[in-house]
Amino acid sequence: MDFSELSYQSEVRESLDKILAQQCTPDNLKKFDEDFKHDEQLLSLLAKNGYLGLGVNEQYGGSGENLYDLGILFERLGYHAAPLSMIGCLVDVVQTIQKFSDGKTHQSLIEAIVGGEIHTSAILEPLNQDPENPLTRAEIDGDNLIITGTKYLSELASKSKSILVSVNSVEGVLLVLVDSSKVKISELSTTANSPSFKVDIDSATLDRSAIIHSYGRGLEALRYLLQINMVMRSYLALGITEKMTSLIAGYTSEREQFGRVIGSFQAVSHRAADCFIDLECLRLVNQQAAVNLNTNLDCENDALISKIWAGNACHKISYSAQHLHGGMGVDKDYVLWRYCLLAKECELINGSASQNIDRLGLNITSNQ
Amino acid sequence: MLIQLNQKQSKLKDELQEYFESLITPALRAELNNPAHFEGGGPEFKQAMRTMGADGWIGLSWKKELGGKELSPMEQYIFVETVMRTGFPFPFLTTESVGPMIAEHGSEWAKDEIATKILRGELIFGIGYSEPNSGTDLASLQTKAIKESDGYLINGQKMWTSLANFSDYIWLAARTDFEAKNHKGISMFIVPTDDPGFSMSAINTLGDVRTNATFYDNIKVPDTHLVGEPNQGWSLITSQLNLERLALVNHGPVEELYKNVLKLAESTKINNDQYLTDLSWVKRNFAEVHSGIEALKLICWKQTWIMESGQLNMAEASVAKVYGSEFFIEAYRLLMEIMGELSLLKNDSELSILNARLERMYRTASILTFGGGTNEVQRDIIAMAGLLMPRTR
Repeated sequence: MDFSELSYQSEVRESLDKILAQQCTPDNLKKFDEDFKHDEQLLSLLAKNGYLGLGVNEQYGGSGENLYDLGILFERLGYHAAPLSMIGCLVDVVQTIQKFSDGKTHQSLIEAIVGGEIHTSAILEPLNQDPENPLTRAEIDGDNLIITGTKYLSELASKSKSILVSVNSVEGVLLVLVDSSKVKISELSTTANSPSFKVDIDSATLDRSAIIHSYGRGLEALRYLLQINMVMRSYLALGITEKMTSLIAGYTSEREQFGRVIGSFQAVSHRAADCFIDLECLRLVNQQAAVNLNTNLDCENDALISKIWAGNACHKISYSAQHLHGGMGVDKDYVLWRYCLLAKECELINGSASQNIDRLGLNITSNQ
Repeated sequence: MLIQLNQKQSKLKDELQEYFESLITPALRAELNNPAHFEGGGPEFKQAMRTMGADGWIGLSWKKELGGKELSPMEQYIFVETVMRTGFPFPFLTTESVGPMIAEHGSEWAKDEIATKILRGELIFGIGYSEPNSGTDLASLQTKAIKESDGYLINGQKMWTSLANFSDYIWLAARTDFEAKNHKGISMFIVPTDDPGFSMSAINTLGDVRTNATFYDNIKVPDTHLVGEPNQGWSLITSQLNLERLALVNHGPVEELYKNVLKLAESTKINNDQYLTDLSWVKRNFAEVHSGIEALKLICWKQTWIMESGQLNMAEASVAKVYGSEFFIEAYRLLMEIMGELSLLKNDSELSILNARLERMYRTASILTFGGGTNEVQRDIIAMAGLLMPRTR
C-alpha cells in the first residue's frame, strides 16, 4: 500500500501548475469565452516542455506508460480551466494506439502528437446510449472499408489531421483512423463553449491499414478506450471540483455578514466540508482506476465507479459553490461560472452517474 | 502509488480468516445470537477470549517489549476487518486501546496484574468517559477523584458505559484538578467493578445492545490505580482516537453484508423465471452500495497508510468517520429495500433471512454518526484542517 506520489510526479504537478497559472489568467480565459476555445500557445508550451508525453512510452518520446501521470495532466488542466480539450487526442488516440497497434504509421502518429500535432477521436453518436455498439458502419470490400455514419462531440476535429472512429462491421467492432479530409466536419455550440464537432461520414473509402488494432481485437480496444476516457475525464472533474472547493474556502473565509466571516457559520463550513469529502472520495477512486488500468486493460467497474463519483461530485460541488458564493457565483467577472459549465460537461460526457450506476449494476449481478 | 495489500498482508488475512473459522464454534455462534450476549460476556465468549490470548492474537498493536506483536497499522486494520466480518464482538477498546496505555503508562502493579491479564484474554474493561452533562464536550466532565494520603477518592456518574455489566474494571476519566482549564485537570484511573461503591443501571437501546449508567460512590483506589501522571489524562484519551475512529468505520462488515445480500438476491425467485437481481432497481441499489464501499475501503486504506508512515492528517481521519458512518446508514437502507419486507423479520422468526442481520444492523447504525466524535465536530475539523476555514461557533 502506498498512496504517495513519486518525486518526479510531484515535480510534474508543480511545474505544470506554474505554466498553467501563467497562461490561464482571468484575462486570458476571458478571451476564449466567446472565441474558439483552443489555446495554441498553451499547447505548444506543453509540447515544448514534454507534458504531452505524459503516460506515453519512452520509444515515442514520452515519459513512460503510466496513466497516473496522465491523470495529473488532466487534473491540472481542469483546475486551471485551461482552454484545451485534449482527451480525444491524448487519451483516446494516443493511449489506444499505444496499447493496441503494431503498425508503424500509427505509432509515428504518437510521436507527432507528443510534439504538438492534433489528432482526435469521434466515438459518441447522437441517439446511441451504447458506445460499445456503434451505429456507424463499415462495409468491407476486399482491402477497402467504406464507412458511413454520424458522430458528435468530437473535440477539436477542425484542427485534427485524422480522426479515430469506432464502427461496426461484419468483422465486429473496428477502430479506424480516418483522414479528416474524407469527412464533413461542422462545429457544435455546447454549454461550456468547448471546441466540439459533428462528424458526418458518407461512404468514406479507406484502406484496411486504417484499422489501428490487430484482427479481432476491435471491441477490446474500444472498451479500453471508453474506460480510460472515463477515468481521465474523472481526473479533469477532480481538478475542476478541487478548484471550486478551494474557491468556496477562500470566498467564505473573507466575505463578512452580520459582522463575521460567513465561513464561521457552521451551516456554511459544513457544506464546504461535504465538498471536501466528495473530493477526497473522487480522488481515491480515480487513483484506484488509473493504477489498475496500468496493469489490466479491462477494469470496467473501476472506471465506472470513478465516473459515477465524478458525475456526482461535479453536480454537488458545483451547486454548493454557486450557492455559497451568492451572486458572485454567477457573475461572469468572477471565475466560478466557467467551472460550473465545465463540471456539467464532465458530468454528462461518456456516461452520466445514473447511466453508469445502471451499467455497474448489470456487471455485478449475475443471473442463473 | 500502489493500492493493494502486499503478500505478507494477504497472507495475514487468510491466516486470520482460517483462525476465526475454527475459533467460532456452533456453541459460541448460538451464544452470540442471544440478545443478552450480542456484545459478548457469556461463557463461550470468555473461553474464546482466553484461547485468543493463549494463541497470541491479543495485543497486536502493543509494542514488543510490552509483550505485544507490534503489528503495523495496516496489519491491525486487516485484523479489525477480519474479526468484524465474522461478527465476533472482540473487545477492541480493552485489548488494543486501554491495554497498551496501561502497559506503557501504568504503575508496576497495573503492568503486572492488569496488562498481563488483558493479554491473556482474562480481563474486560468498560470505558468511563461520557457523563450526563458531558458528551461531545467531554473535557467538561465532573466525576471527581480527590487525592488522599494513600490514594484517590472517586465520586460521580458516567453514561453509556458499555460492557460494564460484565467488565472487571472501568477505564475511568476523572477530574483531579478543579482550578485548571477543562482538559488540563483530568486523570485516568483503573476502577474495579467489584467495589461496594460501584453500581449501575441498564440502558436498553434501540439496537438491543445493552449499555449502562454507572455510579461511583466514595470508591477508594490506591495510587497504583492511577495511569500516567496526574492531570495528564487528556493526552491518553486522545492518543489513539484516530485508530479508534478508523476501527469504527472499517469497510469489512458492510462489504460482508453486501456480498451476502447479493448472493441471496441472486437466488431469490420473484416469479417462475425471474430472480430479484433481474430487477433494474435492485441492480441499481447494489451498484450504489458497491461504489460506496469502494470509496470507503480506499479512504480507510489511505488513512491507515498515513498512520503507517507516521504522519498525522486530521482532516482525512474525520473524512473517514463522517463518510463511513453516514454511508452505513444509506447502505443498510438500500440493502433492506432489496430484500423488502423479509428484512423486517427478527432472527427468532420463521422465514427470517441472513440471521436477521439486516434487521439488526439498521437499528444500530445511528450510534456511529454521533458516537466516537460527533459528525458536526468532525465536519468542523474538516473545514478547519482540510480547507483552512475559520473556526466555527
